[in-house]
Amino acid sequence: MNILEWSFLSGVLTATAPVLLAALGGLICQVAGVFNIALEGQLLWGAFTAVVVSDLTGSAWAGVAGAAVATLLFAGLLSAAAVSLRADPIVVAVGLNLLALGLTAFLMRQIFGSGGTYTSPDLAGLPTLAELGLDVPVLGPQSPLVPVALLLVVAAAWWLGRTRSGLRARGVGQHAEAAAAVGLRVGGYRHGVTLAAGVLCGLAGAQLALGNVTLFSEGMSAGRGWIAVVAVMLSGVRPYRLLLACLLFGIAEAVGFRLQGAGLPQQAADAAPYVITLVALVLAAVAGRRRRENA
Amino acid sequence: MRITPALAGTAALFALAACGGGGEAGTTPASENPPAKSIILITPNPVGTNSFLQLGVKGAEAAAKDLGASFKLYESKDPTSIAQNVDAAVRAKPTVIVGISFSFDDVFSTVPKQHPGQQFLQVDSCAKDQAPNLACVSFKEHEAAYLAGVEAGLLTASGQIGVVAALDTPFIHRWIDPFFAGARSVKPEVTGTPLYVGGNNPFSDPARAKSQAQTLTGRGVDVIAAAASGGNQGVFEAVAASGGKAFGVDVNQCAQSPGNVIDNILKHVDVAEAAAIKEIVAGRTGGVKVYGLAEGGVGVTALAEDATASGCTVGDNPEVLAKVRQVRDDIVAGKTTVADPLQG
Repeated sequence: MNILEWSFLSGVLTATAPVLLAALGGLICQVAGVFNIALEGQLLWGAFTAVVVSDLTGSAWAGVAGAAVATLLFAGLLSAAAVSLRADPIVVAVGLNLLALGLTAFLMRQIFGSGGTYTSPDLAGLPTLAELGLDVPVLGPQSPLVPVALLLVVAAAWWLGRTRSGLRARGVGQHAEAAAAVGLRVGGYRHGVTLAAGVLCGLAGAQLALGNVTLFSEGMSAGRGWIAVVAVMLSGVRPYRLLLACLLFGIAEAVGFRLQGAGLPQQAADAAPYVITLVALVLAAVAGRRRRENA
Repeated sequence: MRITPALAGTAALFALAACGGGGEAGTTPASENPPAKSIILITPNPVGTNSFLQLGVKGAEAAAKDLGASFKLYESKDPTSIAQNVDAAVRAKPTVIVGISFSFDDVFSTVPKQHPGQQFLQVDSCAKDQAPNLACVSFKEHEAAYLAGVEAGLLTASGQIGVVAALDTPFIHRWIDPFFAGARSVKPEVTGTPLYVGGNNPFSDPARAKSQAQTLTGRGVDVIAAAASGGNQGVFEAVAASGGKAFGVDVNQCAQSPGNVIDNILKHVDVAEAAAIKEIVAGRTGGVKVYGLAEGGVGVTALAEDATASGCTVGDNPEVLAKVRQVRDDIVAGKTTVADPLQG
């Protein structure tokens, strides 16, 4: 069996893309000191609204835009409660995750008159890059949102390291009182990143529901938002490390699929992402200690 | 898009009823006078578009109509509400209380013993500790999977077939091992590969199901049986892109992906359930009744009279239809036996 073939790398990117987009949202929140664990719910909400808008308009791009706007509004709940009203963001996020699960299932019955899985010929999926004329290996079978996700990693790194607002956002996250003392609007930065994370989760949901597949099914985020939260924690809030962490999960999933074919039990293949998380955490801790000892 | 306020309203009512624990919906009175006979059906989850539960409701409704009995549906939304619904049903003292699926294994181990005068029926599973007033209906899914395998064996060009299943459990192997065995019965050199969706939501993760199916098609597999429940549509998308073909499960899924689905591994829950309810009402209570091909409890769409008009691609292959019907007759006559993965 040839594990390192183009279709394998392509499978890795497909599995990585929704997680990466959501994780970028989590990362910019983390930078400004908002621990955002509502990624799972926002991802699901994004997937649902993308399918609804695409189905209504017949345009996948309208679906992507609709998901971005709808999830921005959804993230507004988190931003209003956690930043303006100073509620515990963890508690609010748990509520939002449950709300997304119930609300999408309920609205699905209201709008489509059915539960479970919805698909229809009216539902437009995102085109692949190959269909748009860019027929290259690995990227060819992907939707245009996949290279967008990769470019957004570069953009996030540039924003955090090279721009005034990015550096200030980091200041807000590292020491809110000090940032406020030098005149930064702490709440403003936190509102901004929480809402931007909503947009990114909307894109993640659109990629999942219109890119990876062309349908909506209840609970289809299936833990990808939680994997994104873990990726943010593994990354040490650095965009390129975040990309590596997300790719690691994509590889774990794709390798797991292949190893199943080679006879590894499904349960063991399922455990792969979690084993990789543990190993990565241990390696990161060991590397951190060695660096401190050398210093 | 289809917006049906009536349906949506009903769904909302169902959701409310499920929250109440002992709620009721879909009452169908059979006559002006309160009928002597009554049937209460309890589902483990909201019915919605769950095709399996819809068949369960259809079967109980049909039985109620034939018997002139009243019918009530109690929908549960989690294990706690299942127990509450069973309690509410016992208090209502109907002729038969029907529970669908293995979710009732626990509660039907204890409740029937506490109420020896009440008749119970469990569909698609059986409580371990079966009381004399609990009847069970189970299915030989493996016989239908074998027939689908015969079709797959006849129609595969590459000689490689696969199954994308939700989980690697002994019960789900009833859709896997006999499928491959059926294919090898007509083409011995066929190789079969199962892949499992797994993850956090194995029964409703079309994205992972599609990735699994793509892994299979990437390796030259051209016929895939989809046994991934809510993930099946992902499998259909994958075969549509690769030029392969798929099999649906439980109900006719050919229309969900026109031209890409060969046939379906069917379980006629409604037929078996209606028959079992009538048996109980006629006084033949308790015991386990197993429905296979011989009893019409399982099958494939190709066996239907209107197979050519079913929208399934198997209808385009008269020689495959003929072969499947012949194998069905062989199984019913006992000339061919299908190994049950659950029996080791």
